[in-house]
Amino acid sequence: MAVLRILGKGAARAASSYRLILLMWIITLVMILFVALPLKSFLNHLFGNSMAVEKLAGGFDLGLAGDLGKPFVNLLSAASSGGLLLLLAGIFLYTFFAGGLFASYATAWGSLGINAFIRESARNFLPFLMITLLIMVIIAAYTFVIVGIPMIVIISISEGSTPGSNIMYLFYAIWALGMPVWLFVADASRRWVAATGSGKVFMALGAGFRALKERFWVSYSIVLVILILNLIFIFLSLWFTIWSVPDKGGMVFLFFLATQALFILRLFMKAWRYASVCEKTAIPEKYSSTK
Amino acid sequence: MKRFLFAVCICIPIVSAGQVVVDTPLSARLTGYDIEAVLDPSSHIVSGDMTAWWVNNSSKPVGDAMMHMYLNAFSSNKSTFAGLGRWSPAGDDGWGWVRIGSIRDGMGNDLLGSMSFQSPDDGNIHDKTVLQIVLPQPVQPGDTLRLRIKFESKLPSPIERTGYKEDFHFVAQWFPKFGVYETAGMRQREEDGWNCHQFHSTSEFYANHSVYNVSATMPKEYIAGSGGMLIEEIDLGSNQKKVVWRAEDIVDFAWTAWPGYKVLTQKWRGVDITLLTTEKGLKKADNQFAAVVYALEYLDERVGPYPWPHLTFVDPPISGQGSGGMEYTTLFTSNGGGLVPSFYKMAEMLTIHEFGHAYFMGILANNEFEEPWLDEGINSYWEQRIVDHYYGDGYGLIRLPFLKMSDADQGRIGYISSPSRAISTNDLPSWLYPHGTYYMMSYNKAAAWLHTLEGLIGTETMDEVFREYYRQWGFRHPSGRDFIAVVNDVVTREHGNRFGESMDWFFEQVLYGNEICDYRISGVTTHKIRSYAGVIDGDSVTYTRSDRSSDTLYISRVSIERLGGITLPVEVLICFDNGEEVLELWDGKDSFKDFEYTRNSKVVWAKIDPFDKIDIDVDRINNSWSSVQKFTATRRMANKFVFLMQMMISIFTV
Repeated sequence: MAVLRILGKGAARAASSYRLILLMWIITLVMILFVALPLKSFLNHLFGNSMAVEKLAGGFDLGLAGDLGKPFVNLLSAASSGGLLLLLAGIFLYTFFAGGLFASYATAWGSLGINAFIRESARNFLPFLMITLLIMVIIAAYTFVIVGIPMIVIISISEGSTPGSNIMYLFYAIWALGMPVWLFVADASRRWVAATGSGKVFMALGAGFRALKERFWVSYSIVLVILILNLIFIFLSLWFTIWSVPDKGGMVFLFFLATQALFILRLFMKAWRYASVCEKTAIPEKYSSTK
Repeated sequence: MKRFLFAVCICIPIVSAGQVVVDTPLSARLTGYDIEAVLDPSSHIVSGDMTAWWVNNSSKPVGDAMMHMYLNAFSSNKSTFAGLGRWSPAGDDGWGWVRIGSIRDGMGNDLLGSMSFQSPDDGNIHDKTVLQIVLPQPVQPGDTLRLRIKFESKLPSPIERTGYKEDFHFVAQWFPKFGVYETAGMRQREEDGWNCHQFHSTSEFYANHSVYNVSATMPKEYIAGSGGMLIEEIDLGSNQKKVVWRAEDIVDFAWTAWPGYKVLTQKWRGVDITLLTTEKGLKKADNQFAAVVYALEYLDERVGPYPWPHLTFVDPPISGQGSGGMEYTTLFTSNGGGLVPSFYKMAEMLTIHEFGHAYFMGILANNEFEEPWLDEGINSYWEQRIVDHYYGDGYGLIRLPFLKMSDADQGRIGYISSPSRAISTNDLPSWLYPHGTYYMMSYNKAAAWLHTLEGLIGTETMDEVFREYYRQWGFRHPSGRDFIAVVNDVVTREHGNRFGESMDWFFEQVLYGNEICDYRISGVTTHKIRSYAGVIDGDSVTYTRSDRSSDTLYISRVSIERLGGITLPVEVLICFDNGEEVLELWDGKDSFKDFEYTRNSKVVWAKIDPFDKIDIDVDRINNSWSSVQKFTATRRMANKFVFLMQMMISIFTV
């Protein structure tokens, strides 16, 4: 019951910050278009007035790759390196925005205005970046222990014919069930930074672990529920995007609108997790303040 | 009378060999092998006691015999096969070799002292894969040479076509095998002589169709399969068993033994198909059987019957992957696909390809060393037709709503995207292709120009070419020139002189030449023809606004260029804005061609080779022109890129 209440309040707070979410969306879109539009123009240039482009109407015909020749290989290379740079820039950008969002959810100010959002984002950026990096290191180590080591052992044992993949599914499941713990700690730590204004990263992590321990199953369940819903949503969104092959101009535009709507929803779901963790973590403080 | 005696002499070994597998001999059966083998799984040595015979079908006495000793390719790091660091053993126990302990002819003469290793291809004195045996007395025309050979074959590791890994054994290229004695005229040869090449990394087959009686003794727990028909399994006690096989009219005999095999069988029109696979491979066994049946069905209908009542294929375990993708006529190795997703038909493609070698190299036993395109190229061409026919509605390899690829295109890409595509002609011996172009030239380029040939002469004629090729050359040794002669016969019969007196002009370019083919539309222009206006005979002639609006005549010009050295007849389809389409035919010989039209409609698009007949054209992007650029697809792709990047960023951010 407590989980549902917290999730409900978290959703309401996330919804109230819709302007911030829209700002994040538009900035992300513009940033990616800086790479995507030149790539599209280059691909258009490769085809020129050729009707071969019609072979792409029903999905990408890999047979064209050879005809497009080396420029196409260069295009793919540019797309991958551009994509990697975007990913890196995106991680910084979202770490930055997380500062504003947590400030909005962790304080009594409610939804921030754009100026305050940017200001709080800037203020929290460095400690948030450190927390993000530390949590990434923890997740990497956790992945190595839970998935990497068993995989190495099973591969070395099963060389030849012994099937080992079924056992691996068990380790994948254990790994997935552990993930909400680290995400909760990351969120609760950032909430502590945003609420206290302190930049002490390790103290923040300590606060995160303490918050996790306090009513552990509530903490765990909140993130687990949101994580499962997020995974389902991501899977369905990607499935829709990859398998959709609109072949008319109007349909392509509608497709664009649909994918952007999906992405805004995805941002909302991320904000929902932040807000819910903030709600849960704030409960003891609220209780103590009312006493 | 002489001819009669000759025929009788030839028949003696055939009769002695008898008929077990097929009703009547399919080939001349000039060679045969009776081998008793014993596998020692701990030392990975196969001990063999073999009686091999060869019939001198020439008109001259022959004073020597040449035999392949393939396993010696793995005996040192200086063999021609292992040279340049291509192969090295997994450990001290990884070397492979074949050693002859004793060799006697039918008269009991000891021939050990008459043996010497030869290196006809590269003069490499360290290569011991070709053995010459000088005979005490020449083999007279029609006589049979019988050799009793006791040998030991140590299998190499890691497996490279043949070898072992732990208890998995793939026993191929394992016994001393006769080369092919070619008579003058055969494969355009000028004089009689042995054709026996060294073991190269790129090719290995050229042998007579032979009869094999092979028995293999091994521990009882081993499960074995081979290219022969299983005759019996005998329990020898002491945890040993003997497996007896017989094979008729095949060019090589290989077998495998491993305790972990799972055996599945299916029947197709009287052919017993056996699959030896792994526990994991059981999941994909149905797909594998389906692929084999598709290939059998397709080639049976379009080339000729599969003549043996048995066929075995092997999906080796991970440790034995080095034996995957090989062919020994009635035994071939595939690859179950492992973690490859089911939408990607790579495993099926490989199965179909390796089975196809039962025809191209097995039945039509060309010299793979000297003319690799004749089996790998032709077999790739048929594999692509089969895969694209049965899977994915023309896109046999991948057919998803958002991604597709035909098997033919996959092969074509290998050729057109190679920077070395014009480095040599397509008729080099396998080991002489420069700069690692063997695969691209023998498989990809050859398949691409065979598709082009099909485009030019039509699918029905192409199928008839292969039916005739099978009829004329089945169980014989055709050369490239023999294949071309069949093409010329059939094309002339079906199309008269439509393509000239013969198709030699085609083969001279694509097979014996090294030019590329590339046609392009260099431009399309359209001008409105104005009404009569100007200063004529001192009087000013003008045209009115109504004249202008009634101007409906356009002069359109479609300009085409030939960028490559290959000249082929090409079709050009031109479409006007009133929907009218005009199909032009150009001989493609000049370096350019303009098509001009004066009519009351404009050209809206033009396409060279509109029906994709010329697979060998290295750039199809420049084959067409449209007045309207259509970028819907690229916009869609950009949208997907944007969304995928957005999602990636949101996923990778904590």
